[in-house]
Amino acid sequence: MTVILELEHVVKRFGGLVATNDMSFEVAKGESVGLIGPNGAGKTTIFSLIMGEHKADSGSIRLHGEELTKLATHKRIRRGVARTYQVPRPFADMDVLANIEVGLMPDSIMAMIFTAPADEEARAIARSVGLNDADLHRDPAELSMGDLRKLELARTLATKPEVMLLDEVFAGLTAGEIEQISGLLNEKRQEGMTYVIVSHDLRSLEPLIDRAIAMTQGTFVCQGDYATVMSDEAVRMAYLGH
Amino acid sequence: MSTQITWKHLALWALFLGGMALLPMLVGKGTLRTIIFANYLAIFAMSWDVLSGRTGYISFGHPFLIGIGAYTTAILSYRFDVPVGISIPVAVIVTMAAGTLFFLPALRIKGTYFALVTLAFMELMYQLVQVIRPDLTGGTRGISGVQTLTRGAVNGYYLSLALMGVIAISLWAMMKTRLGTALSAIGMNEEAVEGSGLNTTKLKLFAFMVGAGVAGIGGAFYVHYLGSIAPRALFDINFLFTIIVAALIGGASTIIGPMAGAFFLTFLLEYLRPFLPGAERYFIYGSIALILYMYEPKGLYEILRKARERLTGANA
Repeated sequence: MTVILELEHVVKRFGGLVATNDMSFEVAKGESVGLIGPNGAGKTTIFSLIMGEHKADSGSIRLHGEELTKLATHKRIRRGVARTYQVPRPFADMDVLANIEVGLMPDSIMAMIFTAPADEEARAIARSVGLNDADLHRDPAELSMGDLRKLELARTLATKPEVMLLDEVFAGLTAGEIEQISGLLNEKRQEGMTYVIVSHDLRSLEPLIDRAIAMTQGTFVCQGDYATVMSDEAVRMAYLGH
Repeated sequence: MSTQITWKHLALWALFLGGMALLPMLVGKGTLRTIIFANYLAIFAMSWDVLSGRTGYISFGHPFLIGIGAYTTAILSYRFDVPVGISIPVAVIVTMAAGTLFFLPALRIKGTYFALVTLAFMELMYQLVQVIRPDLTGGTRGISGVQTLTRGAVNGYYLSLALMGVIAISLWAMMKTRLGTALSAIGMNEEAVEGSGLNTTKLKLFAFMVGAGVAGIGGAFYVHYLGSIAPRALFDINFLFTIIVAALIGGASTIIGPMAGAFFLTFLLEYLRPFLPGAERYFIYGSIALILYMYEPKGLYEILRKARERLTGANA
């Protein structure tokens, strides 16, 4: 299996707090990995470090073997990694189509001026995540949480990532919406998408992942298939306290 | 956000500018001079809007940029006899360079802090032009006798209208592209723009340079219209707030908005003058601006757009 994403001895401190303590793991191309741990375990910080929203104090983060730690966020995205957020962050005064269109823009001012908006591509992406044509000209404020998550996925997919980091992708969704989003993620997975998924909804997470990595207080605990990790004593201790 | 430019849009622009071109036949020279000021204020408000209305980096130091453009051409043409055909382009380039200086704090700070730092730029400029090389800047008294480009109110009006028209259409066409969408997106959520794979530093720098360039053009032509320049009038907090309020009550992040706001404010202040000749006028204008802004934070543009929607909706 080809390794696509590697973290090696990554450390991040916020003052006296060690948010990421010597974390190392690899993700293979096409693999889906669940990053699990109790609140404050440092899962979202890992995503922020991979994306360059926080700078790692030490360690290495590589995509296709290329070091990412020196690159700005937008350059990492152009290399093929993108993330969603716990709280969707749409462009409030733009309709759904324009929101997706931002993810499709070229990163050159001249190209932005002289190329037409990729409306058809934006529509295709919107349909692929299950947004209806009637939603395309709605403002984000008019969307349900489920549709906002779909929009967030669409905007992320528009950047054409090879690896998607999904942060609490089921938060605030109804059972029906969870089923729908899970279906979408599985479809993309069949097409070869690589995922790292953070979710507190472990029941919904289980069928989506090949492997789980458990962490607590910024530190690696164990990894393996879902059942093995969940039966690990240290994981049970971190989650349940016994 | 970005929509195609259609013949209907161009026809509306032609109608607007054509109508404006007829004004000297309909109004007196006094009113024409008021409109000239409104045209320049519209240019300043549009330049502020490119920089602040779109990206959300609220600048309180816009007169700093206008002043750089105005002083550069005034000094070059008056002190060194440089032809205005050269001094004005040089002034615009110098202002754009100053725009990059303005941009530096935007790399690290935003919101109130950015606004205060830019206000400091204006204050610093106000103090410096009075004490550094007063033989060039004219010190506290400024420079008078600067070459004017036109004679009479009518010619001055046509020059200011042409300038405003070219700037407005150029900015409007630029903002209709994906670039305009990206700049507006920065104002809504800068992190999400970066998270969409776009280099926000480059985009902001571009917006700052375009905004500064337009301020430089406006400042340079304005000083050659007035024929004089004085630091007290230029680096004035009332002048600054007139620019910002014009853009905000007209409708930030649009082109028509700052223009409409500039005309509204100029005529409001002018018509209040016979009743309130002193600074009390600013109290009235401040109150009107506040009420308008509270009623519709997106400004006059949005009020007109909603009215049109209601009318066409009623007709449908």
